[in-house]
Amino acid sequence: MPIDVGKFLKSPEYEIKITTYRDIFQVEALERDRFGEEYRKLSACIMMGRNDLKKMGLKAGDRVRVSNNCGSVVVEVKETKREEPGGLAFMVNSPWSNALVSGDTGGKGIPEFKNINAKVSLVKDEVTTLESLIGIFRK
Amino acid sequence: MVTVMELYQLLPRTNCKLCGEATCMAFAVGLLSRKKNISECTPLLEENFKKQKEILESLLLPTKGAEETGMIVHPELCTGCGNCVVACPVDVANDPHGAGIGRAPTNDKVIFKVVEGKVVASNIKECRRFGKNRVLCYACIDPCPVGAIEFV
Amino acid sequence: MVTCTGCGLLCDDIEVVVENGKIKETRNACRRGAARMRGCMNRLSPSVNQKPSDIKNCIRKAADILRNARSPMLFGWSNSTCEAQLKGIQLARKLNAAIDDTSSFCQGILIEKVLQKKFRTCSLEDIRDKADVLVYWGSDAQDSLPRHLSRFSYFPRGESRQRGYEEDRIAIAIDVRESNTAKICKGHFYRIPLKGDWDFILALMDALSGKVPSYDSKKMLELASIMKKAEFGAIFLGIGLTYSIKEDFDILQKLADMLPNINIMPMVGPYNMRGFNEALFKETSFVNRVKFDGKASHDSSYSIVEALRNKSIDTLLIVGSDPLSSLPRSAISHLANIPIICIDPCVTLTSRIASVTIPCAYSGVENGGSAVRMDGKVVELTKILTTNFPSDEEILTRLTEAL
Ligand code: SF4
Ligand code: SF4
Ligand code: SF4
Ligand code: SF4
Repeated sequence: MPIDVGKFLKSPEYEIKITTYRDIFQVEALERDRFGEEYRKLSACIMMGRNDLKKMGLKAGDRVRVSNNCGSVVVEVKETKREEPGGLAFMVNSPWSNALVSGDTGGKGIPEFKNINAKVSLVKDEVTTLESLIGIFRK
Repeated sequence: MVTVMELYQLLPRTNCKLCGEATCMAFAVGLLSRKKNISECTPLLEENFKKQKEILESLLLPTKGAEETGMIVHPELCTGCGNCVVACPVDVANDPHGAGIGRAPTNDKVIFKVVEGKVVASNIKECRRFGKNRVLCYACIDPCPVGAIEFV
Repeated sequence: MVTCTGCGLLCDDIEVVVENGKIKETRNACRRGAARMRGCMNRLSPSVNQKPSDIKNCIRKAADILRNARSPMLFGWSNSTCEAQLKGIQLARKLNAAIDDTSSFCQGILIEKVLQKKFRTCSLEDIRDKADVLVYWGSDAQDSLPRHLSRFSYFPRGESRQRGYEEDRIAIAIDVRESNTAKICKGHFYRIPLKGDWDFILALMDALSGKVPSYDSKKMLELASIMKKAEFGAIFLGIGLTYSIKEDFDILQKLADMLPNINIMPMVGPYNMRGFNEALFKETSFVNRVKFDGKASHDSSYSIVEALRNKSIDTLLIVGSDPLSSLPRSAISHLANIPIICIDPCVTLTSRIASVTIPCAYSGVENGGSAVRMDGKVVELTKILTTNFPSDEEILTRLTEAL
């Protein structure tokens, strides 16, 4: 049997900065059904400019693991609609982005929702489910 | 959005002029701007062009909503923000104390309304791009942040 | 005509078609508002310890939990009517509880400054009628307050702005992202790097005082000259700016002082966040993060985030909010340790782990009341549909009685 070399090669990891934003279509999906497929599709994703995607060897539709010392989620890659200067990725406000936001507020009570440092790497894993994000809170 | 080239490639490309246009290319332009109809190219009705005719029809289908002015709205992109409702000069003229000052339209003479969170266009014949004194107005295209309104 | 509770603009020009006790169609509401009026698919049902119950029993159970709590917190409030908010504040007083709302990790600081009259501000109607320069700073109004530009700020033909946006108004966006709002501000979009707001303000202040700004000087001078020439301008402060300069808002005041013709207005997303801030401010002179014990004290340790991080609360009552969804996971593990009481029209992530869930009516759809628009105007809400669900105000009243 031929050896699947790809299986042993770990995809390279890239450091990125992420900022969060709001999207009206995602809010619409949230109002309708926050457990629904539509909301997951519009939330569990990371947007990057074309050049950044190219640099990391990623394309729209790929799945990536985004992780830092706060947490780790698998989300879908999307390309931004507009030209970007690069170096910054975007995630819409959601439980997925909140898995990566630091809770350390320096005692000020306002988390760094808009300034997240993380690593991304290409994976084949499925997108993180909402259930698994709630799981650990169950009593 | 389908391009003139894509339409042209599917025509018989004989420049036979039966459609009333000088070239197939000119006919393709006519198709795109809705001034011409596929059936006006009679050679296309022949059996050996059946497949191409079907593709042409399907390509032109999404723009079927376009009236004579060539306006197409894409409700699936629209956020219902109402910018076009308030910015369209026809809406301002026909409803100065409603749409004109940013409020909901107070009569049915306006072109744009938002229904179920999405834009709906009516009275399109009133559009300044249409009729005798037509002007190339962009007042509904520029204020739309998502490109939900276009003219073909 | 009914009022939409989809966001802080509280549009009061919405038409609805009701058929068979349901909203069949909305007119004039944006996509966000239409979604809010249609409501959610998963209505919350009454439960105690994840087992089905009835509302009466749930209220009794909730009262038991609150009676036994040593340091409860009452949280949420930005999606409730003013009437429910007042009941909530009274309940917090009675219980010697902490009370906080979502403004605590949102626009609270700015609203406080406005209520303390530290900024010059105005009404949205003033902006519609008079404004010539509009600055959207760290705010994507198009997506969060979708009708802001069309109803009030940029597109309408106001009393002294008859030539409308084409000639009478200039719209400017300052943001890290080319948002939909930035797209409309085409020629006047200032893209700043992440956390670049501080440097941007300094450079703008330099330009305003005639110095050569250290940063992008040509564009800064152009912006300064537009702002200086404004007859009646407005800076809309969004959450992007708040998060970026959360350490020190005095600099904003300094900037505002240099611009006598420009008003400052914080953007408020949730429909009645400002209502809660005003109500609590009236009672305690603080907009959020208050702990009652005979008197009212204010401290960041009474913010929802710090209280959960420090594990300093032992019970959480939540009205119309979903902290498990909207707060960083790394800050909220304490949610797993304490009893949670959820009052909400819909199933939320938090309600799934709550000890008691009490369904309520959709405010502004199934019950009326009042709310405070983002600029401080009080707006009446409409009851459009009848329902068997009690309003959150009624639930809080019954809960207070049961105590
Ligand atoms: S009738 Fe058809 S084939 Fe002939 S010129 Fe017109 S488009 Fe071309
Ligand atoms: S082109 Fe001008 S007149 Fe025609 S609908 Fe658009 S805004 Fe109105
Ligand atoms: S078509 Fe564009 S401008 Fe008009 S309501 Fe929709 S999104 Fe807004
Ligand atoms: S702008 Fe806000 S209040 Fe107005 S219709 Fe949209 S969601 Fe409702």
